[in-house]
Amino acid sequence: MAQQERSVSRRRYLRGTGAAGIAALTGLAGCTLGEDGGGTSTGDQDPLTIAATIPESGRFSSLGQDLRRGYELGEQRMNEELDREVNLVVRDDESDAQTLREQLQAITSNNDVDMIWGSFSSLLVTAGSAFAENQELPFLGIAFAYEEPHRNDGYEWTYAPFPKSRDITRSTLGTLELISESERPGQVGIWEPNSGWGAEQAGYWEDRLSAEGYEVVLRETFEIGSEDFSTLISRSESAGVEVLLSNPTPGGGITAVNQMRENGWAPDMLQFVRGADPSAWWSALEDAGAYALMCPGWVPGLTGNGNEQLRNRYESEYDDDSEYLAVNVGGSYNLTQVAQQAVEAADSLEPGAIQSALRGEEFETVIGTFSFEDNGLPAEGELTAPTGQWWDGAQRLVYPDTDSDRALDLQYPISPWDER
Amino acid sequence: MVATGVAVEAVVNGLLLGGIYALAALGLSLVFGIMDVVNLAHGHMLMVGAYLAIVLLAATGITPLVGMFLAMGVLFVFGVALQRVLLERVVGEGIEQPIIVLFGLALVLQNVARILLSGDARTADIGIPRGWFDLGFLSFERTVTFVVAVVLVALTWAFLQYTRTGQAIRATAQNPDAARHMGIDTDRIYALTLGVGTALAGAAGALLAMLFPITPFVGWSYLLKTFAVVVLGGVGSVPGTLVGGLVIGVAENLGDLYLGYRNVVSLLIFLVVLLVRPQGLLGTGGEE
Repeated sequence: MAQQERSVSRRRYLRGTGAAGIAALTGLAGCTLGEDGGGTSTGDQDPLTIAATIPESGRFSSLGQDLRRGYELGEQRMNEELDREVNLVVRDDESDAQTLREQLQAITSNNDVDMIWGSFSSLLVTAGSAFAENQELPFLGIAFAYEEPHRNDGYEWTYAPFPKSRDITRSTLGTLELISESERPGQVGIWEPNSGWGAEQAGYWEDRLSAEGYEVVLRETFEIGSEDFSTLISRSESAGVEVLLSNPTPGGGITAVNQMRENGWAPDMLQFVRGADPSAWWSALEDAGAYALMCPGWVPGLTGNGNEQLRNRYESEYDDDSEYLAVNVGGSYNLTQVAQQAVEAADSLEPGAIQSALRGEEFETVIGTFSFEDNGLPAEGELTAPTGQWWDGAQRLVYPDTDSDRALDLQYPISPWDER
Repeated sequence: MVATGVAVEAVVNGLLLGGIYALAALGLSLVFGIMDVVNLAHGHMLMVGAYLAIVLLAATGITPLVGMFLAMGVLFVFGVALQRVLLERVVGEGIEQPIIVLFGLALVLQNVARILLSGDARTADIGIPRGWFDLGFLSFERTVTFVVAVVLVALTWAFLQYTRTGQAIRATAQNPDAARHMGIDTDRIYALTLGVGTALAGAAGALLAMLFPITPFVGWSYLLKTFAVVVLGGVGSVPGTLVGGLVIGVAENLGDLYLGYRNVVSLLIFLVVLLVRPQGLLGTGGEE
């Protein structure tokens, strides 16, 4: 605690002395150059320093590079478009909450940090958020759908430009409505991980889908880290589940699909939120991973709000002309757009000014146009929560409908295993 | 209310899984029972075996059922070398030193795998067209891996029971000093035991890679599960390990079905057996 307070004091001290120095220099310049020489160039603005951690090793390492690329492209854009230098300090959190805290402590101790960007998953993002709340620094995090901490943990500095549980549920309903009424499945099964987010998401799905006339024929809890889904598969088959919804870890999702194949059973529609996000999904499952739906915040096929610019920057920076970018590149790039627009609106690096901008402004990013509630949740109903589907080795947008060639018509129903 | 058919499927699936648990635990049980060494790197050796099968499949298309033999060979050599180079220096120096060495080895194996293969989950396809057999509600992969696992357990039991080397191993387990006086090279027996133990871990890893995703971090969870099997069955007992594996497999599935908890069940069994029957179901409690 003392160390954290010291780092805050140091940051404020540096900012205070820096501001005093600039004021003194400006005054001197005014004395010597008069009005004509007093203009402000971009170099005169305080640099914006951002601390970020990403999981480049450990359990979520397959996502680290995608997050880094989105952040780097955002930093590049901010340096071009903001009238101040932007420095992004990124470290590997090793997919571990304690390491993440240590890395953020190290970065903030050695730099005059103005803002923090989060990692991946509720576990890591909430750890980063707790640090930022303690330091009273604006914090932005994606891959964090859990709503409850926003409501119950008194968030003041944490903002999540990312679909939350309620948005994901809205997207699930929208995706189901893409299916003609005569063919639309009616029996829903929910596999609920035994976590706070698992219960929250399952609750939203059950309440909203029931209200819309779907029958929830199965809602069963499973342990996070479980490697055997055979019992859940048997129960789903026995209950006549047509739509299977869950939010497992990537490893859990891959295991579950493998075991569905072993057991020769598949639902007509499958949505694994977060589980089907990483590219490791396809490398582990290949064609068996087709049809799976996910809601990762951004999916190739979205248009407008800088999507083409994102694609062009990506091609040019990484010399990679892949038709479909990894979903977390877009998600993290979206976060950088929020950061830039907040700093522009605040016209200051004071944490309070950026916080006010985050609370008051409307943001236009590659995932849509939205604002935030005071507790950091994206305002209800504003955020696009795109649903993607794995098809031919790529994640492609199926909901909402766009005219992009990268979007895909929903592939439904899932073919039986012996026909794939 | 759970349908009877679903409950029957849960029991059968649990038995199939339990066979592989038994194979996974057998190496740990032998090393513990014969050498009095708790192999904390056993789960990580299993992970290495799994990766060997996965990499072989990816590079050559050879099914993990064949890759399993490569994994067994590599890990046998690894186990023998480990005993000769490292453990020989610390076995007999108290229980702590081998534990520390093997804990360190587990961390090394985990991090080397992470650096070489990344943290991504990987699996191996069985490489045999599923259309060949229709086993009704039984999973083809589980059935095949169960049969292979039980055959390996039976072969290990026969080796210990009916070969001269096996008898020497059992003699060493009962009384190393007496075994030495009878002319048994106990250093060689220890090296062979660790080699067999790690080879069995490699085989189990190759089989498990066909059922579950493998990451560099799976070692610890398999270590816990195999500990539960060993404690339930009885340290050093081959039939006990098989029974322990089957019981844990079924108990996990029924726990999942009726209570919604799977992993907790094996750990609860572990604790209850330690309290009520610390020698395990078929263990001798050192009276042999």
